[in-house]
Amino acid sequence: MIVLDKISKKFKNKTVLSDISLKIGEGEIIGFLGPNGAGKTTTMRIIVGYLKPSSGTVEINEQDPIKHRLSVLNQIGYLPENNPLYYDMKVDEYLQFVVDIKNSTGDFLKSIIEETGINDVLSSKIEELSRGYKQRVGLAATLIGNPKIIIFDEPTSGLDPLEQEKIRDLIKKLGKRRTVILSTHMLSEVADVATRVVVINKGKITYDGPKPKTDAGIEALFKKATS
Amino acid sequence: MSKIWVLARKEINFYLNNPLGYIVAAIFAVFSNFLFMKDIFLRGNTSLRPFFDFIPWVLMIFIPALAMRIFSEEKRTQTIELLLSLPIEEKRIVMGKYFGTFVYSLIALALTLSIPITVNYLGRVSLAEVIVSYFGVICLIGLFLAISIWFSSMTKNQIVAFLASILVLFLTIAASGDFFAPILPRALLEIINIFTPLYHYNTFLKGIIDLRSLIYFFSVSLFFIYITVVNLKDRQ
Repeated sequence: MIVLDKISKKFKNKTVLSDISLKIGEGEIIGFLGPNGAGKTTTMRIIVGYLKPSSGTVEINEQDPIKHRLSVLNQIGYLPENNPLYYDMKVDEYLQFVVDIKNSTGDFLKSIIEETGINDVLSSKIEELSRGYKQRVGLAATLIGNPKIIIFDEPTSGLDPLEQEKIRDLIKKLGKRRTVILSTHMLSEVADVATRVVVINKGKITYDGPKPKTDAGIEALFKKATS
Repeated sequence: MSKIWVLARKEINFYLNNPLGYIVAAIFAVFSNFLFMKDIFLRGNTSLRPFFDFIPWVLMIFIPALAMRIFSEEKRTQTIELLLSLPIEEKRIVMGKYFGTFVYSLIALALTLSIPITVNYLGRVSLAEVIVSYFGVICLIGLFLAISIWFSSMTKNQIVAFLASILVLFLTIAASGDFFAPILPRALLEIINIFTPLYHYNTFLKGIIDLRSLIYFFSVSLFFIYITVVNLKDRQ
C-alpha cells in the first residue's frame, strides 16, 4: 500500500506540488496523467525517496522512504524519466551490477531477459543499442529483485509506435502480478494499461477515480481535469 | 558481494576500458618518468628525492583529472537518480566510488616503479626509504582524491570540478612552502604549515611513519568523504 498524505514540494520559491493525497492499493495499475510540468516526475521521485517532501508524509507499506530507504527501495522497481543508463557498460554487465546492488540471487534474471526480449543484445554496449532496446534494458533492470511495486516515469517517451506498443504489452503483463504506477502524458498509454486514473495539473490532483470506458472518455476527462 | 566493492569494481572497469582512464594514467606515468630521468645523470647520485619532491605537483593535476567525472558525470547524465533509486546507502556509494578510483590511482602509481628499479640498477637505493616514501605518496593520493570527489559532487560540470580541485590542491601545496611568505607573518605561516598535506608528507620522505601524519591524512580524507555523503543526501 502506498499512501501520500498532504504532500507539498517547493523548490526555492516555486511550489511544484500542493497538498497531494493518494492511496494506492496492492495490485492496482495507476495511470498517473498530467501535462508537461504538472508534477508527475516530482511525485514519483518523492515516492521512491529520491526527493523529500517539503511537507506531508509518504508511506510505502507503512514505511517512510527516507527513514527506511533500503527497506523501501527493496520493494520498488523504478524506471526514471529519460531512462538513464550507464552507456559505457555492456547489457549483461549492467544487469549483473543491478543484481549485485539489489543483493538479488539472479534466479529470475533469465526469465526477465526473455520477457523483455534482450537476449540478442546481452553482449552489446548499451550506447550501441537503439532507443527501444535501451528502454527494454531499463525495464529489465527495474524488474530485478522481483519488486512488488513498479514505477514507470514516461516509459515510452521518444519511442516509435511499434516499440510503444511492445513496451505497453510488457507493462500490462507485469501489472497482473504487481502494483504499477505509470506516469505519462500520453492518454493512449493509460487507455491501454491502467485500471485507475489520477490526473495531476499544476501540482494538484484534479481527478482520482476509475478509468473511463472509452478513449474519448479519457480524453474528455483529461481536458476537463487540466483546464 | 559487498555493495562498496560492486561500485568500486564498476569504477575500476570504467577507467580500464575508457580512454580517460588509460590516457590519464599513461600521461601521469610518462610525465613522472620524464621529469625524473631527464636530469638523472646531471645529478650524479641515486637519490629518489627529486621524484618524491615533484610528485605532489603531478598528483595535483592527475587526481582531479581522474576524479572530476565521479559525481559530475552521474549528475549530468541523470544516472545519479538511477543509482539513488537502488537499495544502497549514500555512504556506500561514496565509499565505493572513492575506493574504485583510489585503486586505479595505485595502478597508475605502480607505473612509476620503473624509476626506483632503474635507479637501483645504476646505483643503490634504500628499499626502506623507497617503501616509506611511496606510502606517503599513497596517503597524499587518498587525501587529494577525497577533496576532488567532494568538488565533483558539488557540480554537474566536470571542468568546474577539475579546476576547483586543482585550485584548492595548489593552495594547500603552496601553503606549505614560501608562497604566502610575502603576505603572512612567519609565526602564522608555521602554524598554517602544520595543517598542510606536504608538511605531513615530508615526514614520510625522511623515512619516518609518523602516527600524527597518518592521523592527519586519515581524518582529513574522512572529513571530505563525510561532507560528500552529506552533499549527496542533501539533494532533496
